[in-house]
Amino acid sequence: MARPESKIKELKPADLRHEVGARRDLVVTLNRRSERRLIAYGDDFLFEKLPVGTRVIYPPPPLEALPDPDQAIRYALLRPENADPLFAQLNPNMRVTVAIDDISLPLPPMRRPDIRERILNQVLQTLADYGVDDVHLIIATSLHRRMTEAEIRRAVGERAYKQFWPDRLYNFDAENRAELAMLGKTDHGEEVWLSKRAVESDLLIYVNINLVPMDGGHKSVAVGLAPYQSLRHHHNAATLRDSHSYMDPTRSALHRSSDRMGKIVNDNVNVFTVETAVNTRMYGGMLDFLHKNEDRFTDWDRTRLSGFKWTLRNLSDDLRRKALQNYSSPYGMTGVWAGETEAVHQKALAKVFQQYAVPVKGQSDILIVGVPFICPYNVNSIMNPILVQCTGLGYLFNMYRGKPLVRPGGTVIVCHPLRDEFHPEHHPSYIEFFHRCLAETTDAIELERAFEHEFVRNPTYIHMYRYGHAYHGVHPFYMWYWGEPARQHVGRVIAAGCEEPEVAARLGWDSADTLDQAIAMATSDLGRSATITYLHLPPIVIADVE
Amino acid sequence: MSVYRKLSPRNGRHAHSRRAAFYDLDGTLVNLNLIHMTLFILANLGEWSGRVSYLLGFAARVPRLYLAERDDRRKLNTILFESFKGVSHDRLLELGEEYCDRILLKHLFPRAIEMLEANREAGLEPVLVTGSPDFVAEPLARHLGVADCAGNRLVISRGRATGRLAEPVMAGEDKALWCERYAAERGIDLAECWGYADSNYDMPFLASLGHPVAVNPDRKLKAAAMSRHWPIIEFEMQSTADAAPSGDERVQEIERSESDGAS
Repeated sequence: MARPESKIKELKPADLRHEVGARRDLVVTLNRRSERRLIAYGDDFLFEKLPVGTRVIYPPPPLEALPDPDQAIRYALLRPENADPLFAQLNPNMRVTVAIDDISLPLPPMRRPDIRERILNQVLQTLADYGVDDVHLIIATSLHRRMTEAEIRRAVGERAYKQFWPDRLYNFDAENRAELAMLGKTDHGEEVWLSKRAVESDLLIYVNINLVPMDGGHKSVAVGLAPYQSLRHHHNAATLRDSHSYMDPTRSALHRSSDRMGKIVNDNVNVFTVETAVNTRMYGGMLDFLHKNEDRFTDWDRTRLSGFKWTLRNLSDDLRRKALQNYSSPYGMTGVWAGETEAVHQKALAKVFQQYAVPVKGQSDILIVGVPFICPYNVNSIMNPILVQCTGLGYLFNMYRGKPLVRPGGTVIVCHPLRDEFHPEHHPSYIEFFHRCLAETTDAIELERAFEHEFVRNPTYIHMYRYGHAYHGVHPFYMWYWGEPARQHVGRVIAAGCEEPEVAARLGWDSADTLDQAIAMATSDLGRSATITYLHLPPIVIADVE
Repeated sequence: MSVYRKLSPRNGRHAHSRRAAFYDLDGTLVNLNLIHMTLFILANLGEWSGRVSYLLGFAARVPRLYLAERDDRRKLNTILFESFKGVSHDRLLELGEEYCDRILLKHLFPRAIEMLEANREAGLEPVLVTGSPDFVAEPLARHLGVADCAGNRLVISRGRATGRLAEPVMAGEDKALWCERYAAERGIDLAECWGYADSNYDMPFLASLGHPVAVNPDRKLKAAAMSRHWPIIEFEMQSTADAAPSGDERVQEIERSESDGAS
């Protein structure tokens, strides 16, 4: 039965703050009169009728943003968690490094001023007030692509850019071996390598954005400023298979490993963490209907949807991609905390779950997810098939705590056109991975054993990573491992609306021309009584599955 | 369909197969071109009156060279090397060495050489495949420690260049054919080989290899590389100060750590 529509209308951010039970109303069961549903579909959206009885999980409405973010940042720096205030840790002779989250956060990029800019302005002012001159700003890219000058300028703001670029504001280089230092090994034998500049600093300040609960904590420094030698201990098929889920740090082997490494970092480096949380205001203005329950669409919403789809349909592929990638989100900052890494992260996590968590009863046989035009690894770039796999099976499947939304052996339907398209400058090693490695096997353990080391040390990919704007040669492997828990759990993946079935086959997926056909294929296996859940995006939701 | 597809025992990486990396020279490893080399040699031939005569001969060929450049690289090479007609073979060998020592070595892209060495370390035997004449390419190959090198060869008669090129002319499809023969003779699988070149005329050469890379590509090659999903890299004449010194203990420590991980 559909729940009374009026209840969603009554949901206010204030209710969400105190009454988690109110979120049960965010789970809607469709009936015959229900409206079609919007489903992300690459550079477009589907607007499809879903079968009666389909359970649709909506993200909670945005929490109220902090009314004065700058004041909140100032307060956090003055009253940190389990640490002295920033100013009290400074002296003019010290060496300070400020590390900053890269372009993979948030998604889509936020409207200016970016949170990073706001925090940096205050941190840099404090450093200047206390006479600290030896300051470097490092974009914590790890094995991600180097951000371009324009992207860095947009993220850090004019002040930091003008003062520090390019000598003291730069991307981390995980292949500049002279600039890496080993800090030690964890009791699990994991080697902890880090940026030498960060290790040799008297104070390392990390400026973070928590878009999802997977972010932040020890993962910021121990991953963001670390090379392959460290990452290989947790970015591997075995560790990721033991993570249930990435969005639940307490049950994620990935997080347990990065926590162990982070503790070694914090034993050796004076880390002052600044974490922030944002609300779900991903689309605003003319596009705010994308967040809405479709049963409550007004005529104006329908008109805007038609106009939006018409515009997307009539743009060339390049223009459509550019138009979508140029969109910036009106995110509001819902919290900022500073100080000791773990204490800060606990507070940030609580706020993030307060924003995203929705209680859901039980698993279903079929899970439908729509893969949008953007993921953390294709900002200003192309969503290639490996990234579609990573977003569908890696991120969207993992948007749960407790149990996955789909039962073991169930079917995941991924809505995306799945074209054989790659960005040669950003994702060169993905191309070889897709055409050569995946042609031989889709088994992550086999891929790791047979090919990973070759890609890690490939001189052309290393050159493109260090001096161009390419993701590291090993990155497509990580993207593949990311989908490993889902591949272990589900019985079948169907790409709905797939334009190139051979691409789906290469990923080990089945393909269907339409969503209807995909649902029919899934129910032919699982029976007509198969239960269906659709995870409604945008923005972001995490299901607490009971 | 199963979510997993297993690695078949026949497939996978052939750990013991020989692999090679083929490098074009002009515009790829060095930021010079054939015209520069030709002018250097002509300007250093014999007495000054002789030099003037050779340079005037070259000037007379410029319109044909311009048209050939737009049309066919093979034709361009043929016309260009006509300029050497009558020059003694000994003198060409001497000037080739001099050009290499005085000019080429100073114009090598530092990161190109880094990559050549890194590729060699990764098990890719370097091979120079260039439209430059052999008397220039071979001294450079010796300097780089490259055992195999293929350049254009002038036909020599009675100790003097005839101005004609011996077959195969290292341009376009002939370059690709040479690579195929070279690989076949040595049991190298071209699908496992890498190739680096900068010009649209190198398309057949690049397309014959499993891992083509466009280096500082011209407009046409860039477009082709984009549409074929080939990697595109840029080399610049700048210092390598940010690269790690080879003897660094930390580097060795990382390498040890990686080999432990790989095992």
